Amino acid sequence: MNKIDDLIAQLAQHNMPRRAAPPFLISLKWLAYAAAYFLIALLVSGTRPDLAAQFRHGEFLTETMFLLALIVASSVGASYLAFPDVYQKRWLARLPLLLFIVFMLFLLFALRADMPPAPQPLHSWQCTITIMLMAMLPAVSTLWAMRRFAAIQRGMAGSVAVLFAFSVSALWLRLHELNNSISHVIYWHYLPMLIFASVGWWLGKRVLRW
Amino acid sequence: MPDYSDSYSDLMQRALNEDNRAYSELLQKTAQLLRPYLAKRLLFANDVDDVLQEILLSVHKARHTYDGGRPYLPWLYAIARFRLSDYLREHYADDLKHASDIADWENLLPNDVTETAFSYESIRAEVEKLPAKQATILQLMHEQGHTAKEVASLIGMNESAVKVAAHRAYKVLKIRLMP
Repeated sequence: MNKIDDLIAQLAQHNMPRRAAPPFLISLKWLAYAAAYFLIALLVSGTRPDLAAQFRHGEFLTETMFLLALIVASSVGASYLAFPDVYQKRWLARLPLLLFIVFMLFLLFALRADMPPAPQPLHSWQCTITIMLMAMLPAVSTLWAMRRFAAIQRGMAGSVAVLFAFSVSALWLRLHELNNSISHVIYWHYLPMLIFASVGWWLGKRVLRW
Repeated sequence: MPDYSDSYSDLMQRALNEDNRAYSELLQKTAQLLRPYLAKRLLFANDVDDVLQEILLSVHKARHTYDGGRPYLPWLYAIARFRLSDYLREHYADDLKHASDIADWENLLPNDVTETAFSYESIRAEVEKLPAKQATILQLMHEQGHTAKEVASLIGMNESAVKVAAHRAYKVLKIRLMP
């Protein structure tokens, strides 16, 4: 018996583990946790006073819809990326990044249309830090949950998982903070998400080893 | 090429339902399928065996991510490619770490590049202590004056494998012969 046969004989003696749920169910579970976290955060921090009025503005409503779509797409993408063959639906893994690019294009158009520009808030980088702190828990728990699977595109998986957590956090801040400046949200809310997604790439390579 | 996908999926499906014999058969068939795939991409039989073991262990670790509802082979090859590139990355990183810098050799190089500082005769005893294949390669190249390509056809290896074996032998000799 050679060493491959020995190995096979050993492996065949092990019991089969419980099968992983399909990715859309995993994604639904993550979305449910994210929704609970988001609602609790919003209940504790409170919403911006003009929220109902803001929803009557097309740009704000579209921005919120984009963020919601990004949350769903990145949660689905991360759950598919947790499987070695991406559940044989590779396009779903790329969807969040594509959506993020379209979102940024929309924001650039909104910025051009913002005439005269809405006043900038007094703060700047504090928003980035707040989003980062709020995203910590969902980011860590999503990456932790992904470790139970077998991601092989680890960088991409880490990146999309972090994008998911930051989208949840960015949506919370958008509904909480009294601020109408498009340039502020581009520079201090959304562009930093790209940097954090790169950190997620690096993290994924390390955390998702198996 | 016949499509074996269904039989693999079927075996995996049975394996997932606690059929250990089906699982063993699946791993055997997987090993048979992957051996030529790896042999085409790796130079040495030892490396093929090492990577094959890594892949089988990975298939075993990731078996809960296969549900039988989609083709088995794309799932398997995704894991195989991943482990193969991991292995190659580590292998080349290791080679680079141990590669000698040309600057280390400058003082040892003779002024007249057409003459060597060592004759083959003076190091014959050390060459003979090398593994048989490496010793034969050095003997053919340096005693009999064959090129790597000629050696490859004489001993039935490919040219790159001959060069790699010679390179490894030089490294061993360097350690043994340099003060």
